[in-house]
Amino acid sequence: MELNPKYPMHNRIIRVMIAAAALVALSLAPTPAAAQAPAAGLFPAYTAPRAIDGKPNLNGIWQAFITANWDVEAHPAQPGPHPEIMGVWGAGPGGQSIVEGGVIPYKPEALAKKKENLEKRTAVKATNDPHRYDTGDPELQCYRPGVPRANYMPFPFQIFQTPSEILMVYEYKGAVRTIYMDPHREAPTDSWMGWSNGHWEGDTLVVDVTALNDHTWFDRAGNYHSDALHIVERYTPISPYHLKYEATIEDPTVFTRPWKISFPLYRRVEENVQLVEFNCVPFVEELMYAPLGLYKPPSR
Amino acid sequence: MRKQTVEVSSALVLMMVWLCAPVLVRAQAPSGTTTFKATVTDTETAIKEAAEEAKAAAAAASNWTPPRTPWGDPDLQGFYLSLSYTPLERPPELAGKAFYTEAEALAAFRKAVEEDAEVDPRTVHYDWKEYGMDAWQSPVRPNLRTSLVVDPPDGRIPALTPEAQKRRAAARERNPQVSVQTLDNLYTRCITGNQGPPRLPFNHDSESQILQTPGYVVLILQSNNDVRIIPLDGRPHLPQNVGLWLGDARGHWEGNTLVVETTNFHYQRNWRGSTDGMKLTERFTLVDPKTIRYEFTVGDPATWVRPWSVESVLPRIEPPLYEFACHEQNYGLMNVVKGAQAREAEAAARKK
Amino acid sequence: MRNRVLALLAAAVILCVPVLMAQAPSGTKAFDPKAVDPETAIKAAAEAAKAAAAAAANWTPPRTAWGDPNLQGYWLTATYTPLQRPPELAGKAFYTEEEALAAFKKAVESDAEVDPRTVHYDWKEYGMDAWQSPVRPNRRTSLIFDPENGRLPALTPEAQKRQADGRAAARARNPQVGVQTLNNWYTRCITGNNAGPMTRGGNPGSDSAAGAAGVTAEAQIFQAPGYAVLIMQSNSDARIIPLDGRPHLPSNVRNWLGDSRGHWEGNTLVVETTNFIAPGTNFLGGTARTKLTERFALVGPNTLRYEFTLDDPATWAQPWSAETLIPRIDPPLYEFACHEQNYGLMNVVKGAQTREAEAEAKKK
Repeated sequence: MELNPKYPMHNRIIRVMIAAAALVALSLAPTPAAAQAPAAGLFPAYTAPRAIDGKPNLNGIWQAFITANWDVEAHPAQPGPHPEIMGVWGAGPGGQSIVEGGVIPYKPEALAKKKENLEKRTAVKATNDPHRYDTGDPELQCYRPGVPRANYMPFPFQIFQTPSEILMVYEYKGAVRTIYMDPHREAPTDSWMGWSNGHWEGDTLVVDVTALNDHTWFDRAGNYHSDALHIVERYTPISPYHLKYEATIEDPTVFTRPWKISFPLYRRVEENVQLVEFNCVPFVEELMYAPLGLYKPPSR
Repeated sequence: MRKQTVEVSSALVLMMVWLCAPVLVRAQAPSGTTTFKATVTDTETAIKEAAEEAKAAAAAASNWTPPRTPWGDPDLQGFYLSLSYTPLERPPELAGKAFYTEAEALAAFRKAVEEDAEVDPRTVHYDWKEYGMDAWQSPVRPNLRTSLVVDPPDGRIPALTPEAQKRRAAARERNPQVSVQTLDNLYTRCITGNQGPPRLPFNHDSESQILQTPGYVVLILQSNNDVRIIPLDGRPHLPQNVGLWLGDARGHWEGNTLVVETTNFHYQRNWRGSTDGMKLTERFTLVDPKTIRYEFTVGDPATWVRPWSVESVLPRIEPPLYEFACHEQNYGLMNVVKGAQAREAEAAARKK
Repeated sequence: MRNRVLALLAAAVILCVPVLMAQAPSGTKAFDPKAVDPETAIKAAAEAAKAAAAAAANWTPPRTAWGDPNLQGYWLTATYTPLQRPPELAGKAFYTEEEALAAFKKAVESDAEVDPRTVHYDWKEYGMDAWQSPVRPNRRTSLIFDPENGRLPALTPEAQKRQADGRAAARARNPQVGVQTLNNWYTRCITGNNAGPMTRGGNPGSDSAAGAAGVTAEAQIFQAPGYAVLIMQSNSDARIIPLDGRPHLPSNVRNWLGDSRGHWEGNTLVVETTNFIAPGTNFLGGTARTKLTERFALVGPNTLRYEFTLDDPATWAQPWSAETLIPRIDPPLYEFACHEQNYGLMNVVKGAQTREAEAEAKKK
C-alpha cells in the first residue's frame, strides 16, 4: 500500500495503520531481564538490614493478603450469612489453602466437631455464666483472634523490635502480643493470644507459643483446636518488602499429627501509613446483648 | 475510698489470684505482675515503705541524667504504675493549700490507706484487698500535692460550658431506660480501659508499659490492653472525620520530655462529658530511675470554659503485663445492666 | 482429506472487508448497522473467504517476543453453521464451495427477514445480525465432526434418567417460576453466553439471545509470558490460562468459568478446563464434571481454527468435538455490564409469572 496524494482518507488510514503497527511492535518489545518478576517462590538471596538488637529488622507494618480468615483450607467463593441483607459485603472470596498438603489432619471425631462448628458459626450466645462458652466463631463477636489467626486477619499489624522483647500490635481490635526474647518468661495462665517466647535462628525469628485457651478458631469455617495447642512460628525476611511466615501447629487432642501453614506477609509501604484503630466492640453490642434484653437503642 | 464490688472479667481475677500466691516476694525473678502483693497485709509496713520510696526518689532525682536508647532518644522504657490516693480535685477544706508538708502528706496517705484497707463485710462480698489489689499493696506513694489538678491554681476542674450542660441533659432524655449503651462507662462495656487517655491514677488495672523503637513510642495499658502507637516523625494527624476511641497520637521530644499530642477522639467517647474536639497534650519525663513525672493538659472549648492540667507520678514496677481479655465474655457488663434494670423496675413499681 | 482441509483453511482467511477499512477505529466495528443489504454482505463474505484462502497459502505464523505462537487479537465467534448436522445432510460432512455459499445465503436471508407481527425490535436494526459482521460461509455442514455423523453422541442411561428426574425434581423444589428457577446463567448475568465453548453453532433467525448466531460474538486473546487470557465480549467473562503446568484447583473449589490450564502443542494452544460449578446451556446437558478441552491455532493471518471437545462420561457415551474457523476482527471489546440493572431478567420472570398465573386461572 502506498501513500497517494489523490486519496487523503486513504493516506490517513495508511498512516494510522503504520502507527498502529509501530505501537504493536513496541508493546511486544521484550522487557529488560532485570525488571522481570522472579518466578513464583524464588527470590534472590536477601540479607535484611539489622535492627538495634543486631538482628534482622522486622520493624514496620505488615499484612497478609490471603483469604485464610474465611477458611485456611482451599475454598470457593461463598454468599456468606444473610445474603438477603448483606449482598456482596457479606460474601466471602475464594482462595487457596495455606495448609501444607492442603487439608488439616483432624481426628475423625474432631472433624465432626469442625463440621458442627461450621454449621453453627454465626451462633451468638452471650452469657453471664462463666461456666458456659458455646458460641460460634469468636471473631463475629469481636473476640481476640488468637495465634496464628491474628497474622492472617485482613488487617495490618505493626512490629516493634527491641532486644528484650518484640511487640506485635494488631489493628484488629488493638490486640497485642509480646514475644519475650530476653529473658524468656513463663505463662501465668491461659489467654486468648497465648504466651510467646522467641529466639533467632540465623535470620529467622522463631516464636514458641503456648498457653492458648480453647476459645479461638483458626478461621470462619469452624477449624478449631483445644487448649493443648502449641504453635511454633517462623518469620524470615525474603526481600525488603515481604517476610515468609510459617507456623507448625500441634494439638494431639484434635489432630492426628502436627501440620504446617505458610504464606507471605507484605510490608505496607504507603507514606505515613499507620494502623487505624479497629475497635469492634461497639459494633457487636446489639448482636450480643439485645437477645438478652440488655441493649436498647436510643429513642432518637 | 469507696468499696466497690468486683467488676472485672474472671480471667483477670484468676490471673491476679495466681500470681499473688504467698511464694512471690519483691526480690523474686519476674514471673508475674509482682506489682500487687497479697502478702502485703500490714498497712503500717506498706505506709512506711512508701514513705521511704518517696524520699529515696526525691534524693535520686537531684543529680541524675536519664539514659539514652542506642539510637539516642531518652530511654523511658519499662513498666509503670498509674495509681495515687491524691484526689483529682482539691477538697474544699484545703482551698488555697497546694502543697502539704512532708508530715501532712504522710498523714493524708496513712488515712487514705487505712480507709482503703477497711472492709465492711455487711456491704462488701469481695474486696480488692483479698487479691492484693488495693493501691497500698502496690508501690503507690504519698504525694506532697493536695490535688492532681495543678491548673487552674485552685486545683479544681473548670466549669462546664452551657453547651456541655445541655448535652448532658439531652443524653439522659435520649436514653430513658438503662441498657448497655446508656452506661456512661466505656470500661464497663470493655470498649476502652480505664486509663483514658489521659491517664487518671485512681483505678485498678493501672499498670502500663512504655516501649521504644526508632521513630516510635508505644504505650501499652494493662487496662483492656489498650495500645497507643505514637509516631515521632512529625507526620500529620489523621483527617478530622476519623475519630478513634483512644485518639490519634503524635509525639516529639523536648529535651528529655516526651510530648504527646492527641486529637481525633471518637464522637461517642464522652470522656468526662467531652466531645470529639478534645485536645490532649501529655508530657512524660523520667525524673529519676524509678519515676516518671506525668503531666497533661486537656482542653475542649465545647466542654470546659478553659483547659486544665494535671500532674502526677508513675512509679516504676516490675514486668510483665498480662493479657486483659475484657470483652471476652463480659458478664460484668451483663450483670451491671441487669441489676440496673432490676432497680429501675423496682422504682417504677413503687411509683404505682 | 488433507487437500480438502487445506482448501478449507485457505478459504477461511480474510482481509479487511472494504466497507470497514475507511473507518478510523472508534468502536466495535465488527457489527456495522450500515450494512443493510444482505446481498452485498453475502457477496463480501464470499470474497473474503476466497481472499483468506489465498493468503493462507504462503504464510508463517508469527511469534510473540518471548517465542510463543502469537494468537493475540480480536476474534468473531459467530457462525451460521449448526452445531449438529441436519438429518437431511446425513453422511455429508462437507459442502462444495457453491453449496456452502448457497447454505450461507439461505441462512443470511432467513436471519435478515423480520416478521413485524411478532418482532418489535430486531437485532438487524442495531447491526447485530451475524451477516452484518465478518461472519463467513463454512464448508462444513455441522460444527461437530466427531462423532463422524456430526451429531451429539447418545446420552448415557444415567444422563437420561438424570435429565428426566432433574426437571421433575426442580419443579417440585421450586413450583413457582422465579429468578433462580431460570436455568439460563446468561439471562441471570451470572456468566455470558460463551462461557465454556466459545462458539455454539448458528440458529439463524432465532429470537433467543442464547441461540442467535451473532449476538455478542466477539472475543479477545491476550498473551503474556506464561499466560494466555481469553476475554469474551459476552458478560466480559475473562479466563486466565496459566501455561506453567501447575495443577488444577482442588475439586472442592469450583468456578462458573471453570479452572483452565494451557500448554502448547507445536503452534496449537491446548486448554483444559475443569472445576465447573454448573455448566450452561452450551454444554448441551453436560454436568459440572464435564472436562472442556479447546485447541486454538492460527491457520492464516486472519483466521483462527477453534476446536473444542466436551467429555463427561456421566452424560455421553463418548467425548464429542466441534470445529470452526474464526475470522479476525478489529479491536476493541466493550464493557458488557450485564447484571447492572438487568431489567431483561426482571421482565422475563415477570412475564413467566404472568403466564403461570393465566394458566392457573384457566384451570379454574
